[in-house]
Amino acid sequence: MKKILICLVALLVAVPVHAIEGAQLLKQIDRNLNPESYEMYRKLINVEPDGRKKEYTLFSVKKGVDKVAALFLTPASEKGRSTLRLGDNMWLYIPNVGKPVRITSLQSVVGGVFNNADILQLDYAAEYDVEKVEEAGKEYLLHLKAKTKTVAYDKIKLWADKDKKLPTKIECRTEAGMLIKTLYFKEVKDFGGGIVRPSVIETDSPLYKGYKSIFIFANIKQRDFKDEVFTLTFMPNIESLR
Amino acid sequence: MKRGFFLWVRLWIIAGLFILWGSIAFAEEEYKFDISEIEKKPYHIGGYAEFRPVIFWLDSNASLYKLRFYKRDEGNTIEEHSGKLQLEGSYEKGIARLFVRADLDLKYSYLGWDHNESKRMIHEGYLSIKPSDSLSFKFGKQTLLWGKGYAFNPVAFVSRPKDPDDPELSLEGFVAASADYIKSFNGPLKTFSITPVVFPVYKRLNDDFGTVNRLNFAGKLYFLLYDTDIDLIGLTGGSKTNRFGIDFSRNITSNFEIHGEFAFINHQTKKVIDKQGKITESKFDAKSYLLGLRYLTPWDTTFIFEYYRNGTGFTHLEMKDYFTFIDKGYDLFLARGNDSLLKKATSVTQGNYGRPNPMRDYLYLRVSQKEPFNILYFTPAITTIMNLNDRSFQISPELLYTGFTNWELRLKGTALVGGKETEFGEKQNDYRVELRVRYYFDAVKAFDWLKGKIAQNNR
Repeated sequence: MKKILICLVALLVAVPVHAIEGAQLLKQIDRNLNPESYEMYRKLINVEPDGRKKEYTLFSVKKGVDKVAALFLTPASEKGRSTLRLGDNMWLYIPNVGKPVRITSLQSVVGGVFNNADILQLDYAAEYDVEKVEEAGKEYLLHLKAKTKTVAYDKIKLWADKDKKLPTKIECRTEAGMLIKTLYFKEVKDFGGGIVRPSVIETDSPLYKGYKSIFIFANIKQRDFKDEVFTLTFMPNIESLR
Repeated sequence: MKRGFFLWVRLWIIAGLFILWGSIAFAEEEYKFDISEIEKKPYHIGGYAEFRPVIFWLDSNASLYKLRFYKRDEGNTIEEHSGKLQLEGSYEKGIARLFVRADLDLKYSYLGWDHNESKRMIHEGYLSIKPSDSLSFKFGKQTLLWGKGYAFNPVAFVSRPKDPDDPELSLEGFVAASADYIKSFNGPLKTFSITPVVFPVYKRLNDDFGTVNRLNFAGKLYFLLYDTDIDLIGLTGGSKTNRFGIDFSRNITSNFEIHGEFAFINHQTKKVIDKQGKITESKFDAKSYLLGLRYLTPWDTTFIFEYYRNGTGFTHLEMKDYFTFIDKGYDLFLARGNDSLLKKATSVTQGNYGRPNPMRDYLYLRVSQKEPFNILYFTPAITTIMNLNDRSFQISPELLYTGFTNWELRLKGTALVGGKETEFGEKQNDYRVELRVRYYFDAVKAFDWLKGKIAQNNR
């Protein structure tokens, strides 16, 4: 009887990972990555197998759970291009073309491993439900499932540091479980204003063998914006927010 | 033919040299995130320089060849070498921003050297004032490209016609005063915006738009309603007849988008020439519309498909009469040296029979493959524009490479296919091959880099 009781207690202790509110944990990871509304600068570097690199600099702004916009600052060939995401809606504005056009989240504005959904990343909790949380040593492993069909990746496996509650690795998969890309979160840095998060994300993909893409983050700041900033009509004016 | 072959070889040598240069330049680079890269300056100067050699294989039996070349023999092929410098600059102070985009075109062809008119060089030049994120005003020459179509925009009432062969080229604007007021909401209607435009047409001011001495008013109401973009568009004032339109665009899934446009044009005028050369004008209410989609496959192939009904276009019979009249004029010229009929045909060609998409029903299909065989920044594509009324079409394969920072290389061929008295069959050339090399630059960054190098050397 005593043994049965010990086993029951042990089982109860073993479950707390499930007991941890998966959704709550994911929200916490989101908030640790970025404030809910922010501005930031990013450099995207595509590295080819022969070592050649192509770099892009972006200014991004985000508000709430479903509004995000990005403006290309360099190179000169991309300068002034902006992308906007409002929930599942996504647009691209090219200054020469002169009007925003709808794009799909799986398309890539810059080429390489990152697509539009990566560049205009919303909170994970806004797009994914937590199916399961496991413990993997010093990390949590969250199994995420897309809330709708319009989300770029159907399944995500997210490894997060237990103490810092920050992601260390993310695998993006199709509905059938095929690996599309892996994101590695590196070099945790204090950006000021209480924002301590990885400053580098490296990505590789079995679809692009030998290639990798790197995001370097700078100047992440909490900032509030009017909703009108995240509209198709405002897209040509995103530069004025800098 | 031999001349064409040598030009072809020259095009490839030029492309090869650019690629080699790019490879060397890149092999020496290293990456870093320098904070000076994100420093905002109140001014900007940039743009691109372009070199574009083209070879045309002429069709001496085509009506438009006869109309253009009846007095000259240029052989089977003609070459054209164009250079373009697109310069743009801006200056920002407080809520005001001054912006200028100028386009300098220089061309060498069988007609000798040519450049665009100086008054057409400024594509855009305006002062914008933005008192808040919800409200902005723009005064000056501006491009107001309305509509959701990729290749065609029947509701683009206040812009110059797009070239469906190269729909992403920048267009020259018109002088106007416009405003944007935006309001966001929670609920099914997420965004509403209104864009009123005052559009003067007077002598030397937008006088190529329509009837002069008129003050025109245009406007656009935009709604993002149930995740669908919807625009209501109108133009009135007398330079052109009144016209109204609606367009929409919506993502069905993360890789599938649909769009459409509908335009109603009141009292449209059509100038038609018959086989005998009699010109008649008719007035009617025209309806134009477009339905299109953009689809991305799991293997990164993008399809852009559009059906365009041009309610202002010519019927197949009207177009046949026009071609027959040209042939008649050419026969007269050969027999008696009299070019009066050809001159008459030329007078109804410009902006009428000679405009892009002059007939009624068109299909547009563009298929592009992103980075095949893991070749980063390489996009081959094939585009076709088909005239459904006479079954003629053009097909254009192209190779685009953007792998070297700020360089863009595009090699494009076009074949025009159609029988006698068809739109594409009667164009002056059968084939066309062009290489387009563009280099984008940021003059301010280049100047800063130079300044840095000088300072480094002085240390």
